Amino acid sequence: MTAVAGCCRTLELKYGIPTAPLSTIAFQNVVQEDREFFGVPLRFTYAPHPVVSMPPSVLRGYIEGNDPVTGRRLVDEVLEALTKPYTAEESANVAIARPALPEKQRFLKGDTEENLQRLFVERGWTDGLPIILPTEERVAAMLTGTSQPLDKVVSKAFMVDTQENLRVTVEQVAIVAVMAGAQPEYLPVLLAIAAAGQPAIQPSTLPFASAILVNGPIRNEIGMNSGMGTLGPYCQANAVIGRAWTLMSIVWGYARRKRTFWTSQGNNYTYNNLCMAENEGRSVWEPFHVQKGHKPEESVVSLFRGWNLINSMGAAARRSWGEEVKLQMQALPALYSGATLILDPMLARHLKENENFQTKLDVSRWISENITMTADQFWKNDMIDMLVAPLAASGVQPYASWQKLPDDALIAPYHRPEKINIIVMGGETSPLWKVSDLDYMGSQSVDKWRK
Amino acid sequence: MATDTFSAVLDPEAQRTPATEDSGAGLSSWQMAPRLETLHGKTLYLVNQGFGGSDIFLEQFQSWFAENMPSVKTVARRKTGFIFRDDTSDLWKEIKEKGDAVIFGVAG
Repeated sequence: MTAVAGCCRTLELKYGIPTAPLSTIAFQNVVQEDREFFGVPLRFTYAPHPVVSMPPSVLRGYIEGNDPVTGRRLVDEVLEALTKPYTAEESANVAIARPALPEKQRFLKGDTEENLQRLFVERGWTDGLPIILPTEERVAAMLTGTSQPLDKVVSKAFMVDTQENLRVTVEQVAIVAVMAGAQPEYLPVLLAIAAAGQPAIQPSTLPFASAILVNGPIRNEIGMNSGMGTLGPYCQANAVIGRAWTLMSIVWGYARRKRTFWTSQGNNYTYNNLCMAENEGRSVWEPFHVQKGHKPEESVVSLFRGWNLINSMGAAARRSWGEEVKLQMQALPALYSGATLILDPMLARHLKENENFQTKLDVSRWISENITMTADQFWKNDMIDMLVAPLAASGVQPYASWQKLPDDALIAPYHRPEKINIIVMGGETSPLWKVSDLDYMGSQSVDKWRK
Repeated sequence: MATDTFSAVLDPEAQRTPATEDSGAGLSSWQMAPRLETLHGKTLYLVNQGFGGSDIFLEQFQSWFAENMPSVKTVARRKTGFIFRDDTSDLWKEIKEKGDAVIFGVAG
């Protein structure tokens, strides 16, 4: 919604072009907040919700039907928005002056544990599970996990819903770490995650998933599981680190329901964000963080974002691994060529020793060259239409060329091998794997946050 | 559950400050574009932001104008640039040169 308002403001104020912005009723409060913040009286007209997936006849009915906010015919409001002169009253600047926020109090009002637990739930500071109350004593103990001062700023962010700047300090990360159940030795990993400035729960209408990968010595020092059951609920470090990232989103305000968080169904992965460590000791290939330019002895956190994770349900006994992977990856959008494959060390060893994939990049290249889908399948994915079609229209290759192809033409949508991430983990019970559309968002050093 | 009082539990929220600098918030002066006396004989751009279904919705607007206000010339275009940002300039320049007004959407 904010992009519609922003573009219309620019058209009105910079280009002198009258606009009639449209929104669905679901985002009326966001429109109102935008008006209060900027003061510019854009004349929004509201349609029923949703627009997406509605047949043309229904949408025509929206146009000739009533705006659900005003009760007036929608098309009449649009015509009026473009032709009726602004009155002085309508043009009044209604931006609400925002007083400086009161300095945040460091402590909550004292109460019983039961009442404080309830307070955390009522204020939306939990993921629905019980939290450890962040007492001064517990937070102080957590801070022994880092040499950094408690008031050091770890990250800053802009909150689009409240139009506020957010500042996160080492102490705030330590508080969330306590709430999630972390040990002090996990804190450097959590500080590195917080320093990335990326929310685990992406403000969106879409059910995003996020993922954490830890590489380097700290994996074993803090007892992360990169072996058997690595992505299951069997390890405190994996469970708590992943949970803490989500609590950061919830407590700090990235994920406010019907403010920035609109996804109808959500994504279960956001409970602990697929928190994982690479099984560097059993992998036949270079660790992920080394691929990204870090030294093997560095400890590094890497973050990913996508939607889906597809498990191999067998070990490719009746079909080749490549054929299985092809079927799985054709079900994913191939957005910007991004993908992540998580291979058991046993499978990685097989691919190296028997299939001649000497490096991870060899695997990525094979995928890039061999996985195809029709142009029609690619372009009719909503994400591709929203995010890639504008690139094609701007002449960005290969998308511009792909858009000119007939529907049944085959394309290789994973066209950038460097965007296809390979991670090795698992307990070598079976040569299994997982395929996902997780896209790499970047890495952060853990070491600078350590004692 | 224990009834002991916890007197030193820290507030987990981060420090917030109003984002007023460089945000365009509360612009002190601005001028909305002059409204058209009439749409008849004018060129109206129907700009699809890029959310799913917006193109079909605006196509229906185009049909409505063809049937009900045929003197209005409509041009259906898609916003250029990134869907979530106000980063378009080429299309806005084209509209400034060739168009008179814009219907823009659909948020949602």
